[in-house]
Amino acid sequence: MRGVVIRLILGFVPGFVFFGSVLAQSKPVAATTEFVPVPADESLLNKLSNGYQSDYKEELTHLPSVNKKDYEDIYDERWKSIKERFDKQEIYTDPAAQAYLDALVAEIVSRNPVLKATPFHCYFSRSRVPNAEYIGEGIILINMGLFDRLSDESQVAFILCHEISHFVLHHQENSIVKQVETLNSPEFQAKLKAIQHSEYNKRAEVEGLVKGFAFDSRRHSRDHEAQADSMAVVLMRATRFDLNGALGTLALLDTVDKDDFNLAAFLQLTFNSTGYPFKKKWLKKEEGLMGGHVQLEQSELSDSLKTHPSCPLRIKLLTPMVQSWNTPGRMKNVIDFSRFDELRERFKYEVIEYAYVSEDYSGNLFYSLELLRDRPNDPYLIAGIGRALNGIYEAQKGHRLSKVVDLPGPEYAANYNLLLQFIQNLYLEDLASITYNFLTPWHPRLDHLTVFKTAYEQSAKTAAL
Amino acid sequence: MRHVNLKLSALGLLLAIAGTVNGGQPVASSVTAKPAEGKLSIDKVYSVYLRNSGAIMNKNQIKGYFLLYQSDKVDRHTNEYTLQILDENLNKIKDIKFEDSKSISLLESAYNGSSISFLFKNEDQKTLDMKIYDFDGKLKYTYSRDFDRRTDDLMKQYVNMRTDEGTNRNVFDIGDEGYASVLPLRDGKQRTYELDYYSSVSKKQFTYTPEDAEKFAVAEVLGSTDSLVLLNVLKFTHAGKDATSHLVGINIYTRKKQFDVATDEDKAPFTPMAVTPLDGTNDLLIMGSYFEAGANVMKDASKGLAIYEVTSNGKIVNKTLNSWDGDFSRYLAISDKGRIDNVGYMYIHKIIHSADGKFFVAGEGYKRTASAMGIATTVLSGGRAYNGVTKMTITDMVVMQFDNRFKLTGATIYDKPNSSALDMTGAADMNSQHMIAMYLKSMGCFDYDFTTGDDDYSNFSICYSDWERTGDFKGKTFTSIHYNGKKFNVDKLPLKSKASSLKVFPGKPGSVMIMEYFKKDKRLDFRLEKLG
Repeated sequence: MRGVVIRLILGFVPGFVFFGSVLAQSKPVAATTEFVPVPADESLLNKLSNGYQSDYKEELTHLPSVNKKDYEDIYDERWKSIKERFDKQEIYTDPAAQAYLDALVAEIVSRNPVLKATPFHCYFSRSRVPNAEYIGEGIILINMGLFDRLSDESQVAFILCHEISHFVLHHQENSIVKQVETLNSPEFQAKLKAIQHSEYNKRAEVEGLVKGFAFDSRRHSRDHEAQADSMAVVLMRATRFDLNGALGTLALLDTVDKDDFNLAAFLQLTFNSTGYPFKKKWLKKEEGLMGGHVQLEQSELSDSLKTHPSCPLRIKLLTPMVQSWNTPGRMKNVIDFSRFDELRERFKYEVIEYAYVSEDYSGNLFYSLELLRDRPNDPYLIAGIGRALNGIYEAQKGHRLSKVVDLPGPEYAANYNLLLQFIQNLYLEDLASITYNFLTPWHPRLDHLTVFKTAYEQSAKTAAL
Repeated sequence: MRHVNLKLSALGLLLAIAGTVNGGQPVASSVTAKPAEGKLSIDKVYSVYLRNSGAIMNKNQIKGYFLLYQSDKVDRHTNEYTLQILDENLNKIKDIKFEDSKSISLLESAYNGSSISFLFKNEDQKTLDMKIYDFDGKLKYTYSRDFDRRTDDLMKQYVNMRTDEGTNRNVFDIGDEGYASVLPLRDGKQRTYELDYYSSVSKKQFTYTPEDAEKFAVAEVLGSTDSLVLLNVLKFTHAGKDATSHLVGINIYTRKKQFDVATDEDKAPFTPMAVTPLDGTNDLLIMGSYFEAGANVMKDASKGLAIYEVTSNGKIVNKTLNSWDGDFSRYLAISDKGRIDNVGYMYIHKIIHSADGKFFVAGEGYKRTASAMGIATTVLSGGRAYNGVTKMTITDMVVMQFDNRFKLTGATIYDKPNSSALDMTGAADMNSQHMIAMYLKSMGCFDYDFTTGDDDYSNFSICYSDWERTGDFKGKTFTSIHYNGKKFNVDKLPLKSKASSLKVFPGKPGSVMIMEYFKKDKRLDFRLEKLG
């Protein structure tokens, strides 16, 4: 699950980076219809990618002539990262969803004429990570994993305005300039030269140099976030959206890590069967080396290296603006709340599907189990869990498990780590029998679903081995 | 895949820097933007080197891994080192920085649940230094002992060995209170051994030197318990002649031999090869070759495999013999000299007492074959230079199953291509099959790598290196014979990689850790793969 990760974003300044895994679960809703993922429009993705590639090439011709190679290297890396989003079909191409997002953006742009001079494009990303970001070349992504946690359109508007602000204020590009200029500055070069000529104790010297560089870069990053927050409220002010959406979004982000899901109990409940009873050792966690399991170190130093100010601080900074500008009559939903609600619901599934197609099987399984808790009879989830377990079986058999599941690590939330440990504890015969016995009660009721039928038949074969 | 980033590990605070690693080569840091040619970047002015890596074990289970980097030069004689400790999932636990001689190397590591120990070799001071750290990475104790030419054999082992249970060959955790290390010593034709004990709870060290006249003794570590280090000691009346085999237990609390059992007291010599504690008792189960009464273990062929039950005081309470021509011949084709057809003699690597009460034993064949090189040089010298006309060849894996009365109930040969181990140059007088096996093991010649499994061995995998010469993939493979509590399956992991070099370490139960070095990218990747 590349994403349920507490990480420091380096180099460029993304928009929001939201930590943790899951918000409070949505209310139980019986799936009345089976979810069918929207297929990716490859032709559209290629067209878009080619168009942005032309923009990127054009951009290269306008880079500063001094230290041009350095700039080109960075822009090249940025372009590769952008292209990968299109190549891996992370960009959601559903026309109805895109039309809705375009309408939201139009509400912002039409009421802020200054934005018309600098065209940009917003897309939904199929990522489950609760995040949004400006990725370069005028592209803003809002992840489905963030969208489906929001309460109303005013919160979406704030997020879009925040990312638009990063774009308009050239935060990424300014960071690149600062980085290149710093590394090529006479002062920095002189220090490097001195280090080069010293035979001993280079590490401390280099460490000091880099530490200063990193602190400076992160401080600017935090400044950029505060600027983007402020400008987002300014942009929102011109729209019809309720400005409290800004504060609500930040409050939501502050609690995004909270998770009351008892996954251990749920795994036992879900994967226990008379045919293959659940074994406690599947959840066993070995005693950690050197007195415990790895924890992320928290220190003053790590605070200084954060890319974002804390959410309470951001709320505190924005509150006076919101209170003074939030005139009566502003609305939480301006465009189409029913469509907003429908997309929130759809995105809960689309992120699961994307995790599977991008071969993130541990993420796919985790999201599916989370949703299955509230929707225990959901055909898509049941079939999908069987499919993911079969994928894990095949990967383990083919010695490529490390490519499709994460290893337990301190950067992950406790529940996700528990699932990863569970996967690590299973032998092939366990996987085969668990999958088969999990799917069997639904056979032949769900056989009309191709995914289910395929998963069931595959599990029957492997369990019989 | 979890990439371990050497730059970050060495620099600690270079959080803003993406990086890579390298084994034995300088690894440089690179900042996202590198200055243009002619200008300096961090990777041009600072490098770190990976010096050593290995597994950290406790009670035969993998607990993690260590990486030793040279992170800086302090002065002409001193380097700064960073010892990075990873857990069994390759998460970084700790970076320990320390300064030491520029000519140290890290030989082994062990973990005993309350501390972690590292045995270093200091070439300048000619010392073996044992450093013991607490959970916070704080150095608790340092112990030193001299080494000299008498320990050359040990140093050769460290260069050549492929270990049977990961890295540890000579350093063991003894209960929760310390570590022991057994050193083979050689002085001219005199061979003996010493045992060093290092406490991890107080500053306490002692060296056990065999008290009797063991001028000619070769010791092999069989295993350890909370208080005992168990050795198989071959004692010679003089070099290379008339050996007697002994099972020796050294108590680290009394600092004395707890027992020294001549295993041929009943005139039927026994050469122990592997030991395991017998669950539910304080007894030990020891397996090895037995010989005909009055036989010379240096010359004669063994009669079969014996399993001895021995108390913690060294009293043999039960012996079970499984003869080649009787018990084994029911499952394997055996020649008249105790050789298994196409396999040769058998060395025992591991005894596994599985959760279902069965005993499984992993063995590997070896045999003497003609050496084209040895014959050629002997002929060319007109016989004046006898370089050994034979060589040792490592053959197939053999997995045996015994019942709870230690009688053989099954044996299966797992075919693998024969591999040439070594010409017997300089070892022409080595006629004892057991001595040859000990030598082959000490030189890392066997293909067997390690056994990994659940702590109760309800599932386990016997792992070895192999070659695939047919099919889609041709090249080196890593093979595991997996027991799932009911039956065995063989799984082959092709070691196909674009990496410049690749090494397989033991992993947590059911897994192996693969380390790949990409020379061009100066990158070192670690990944865990579950065995199929």
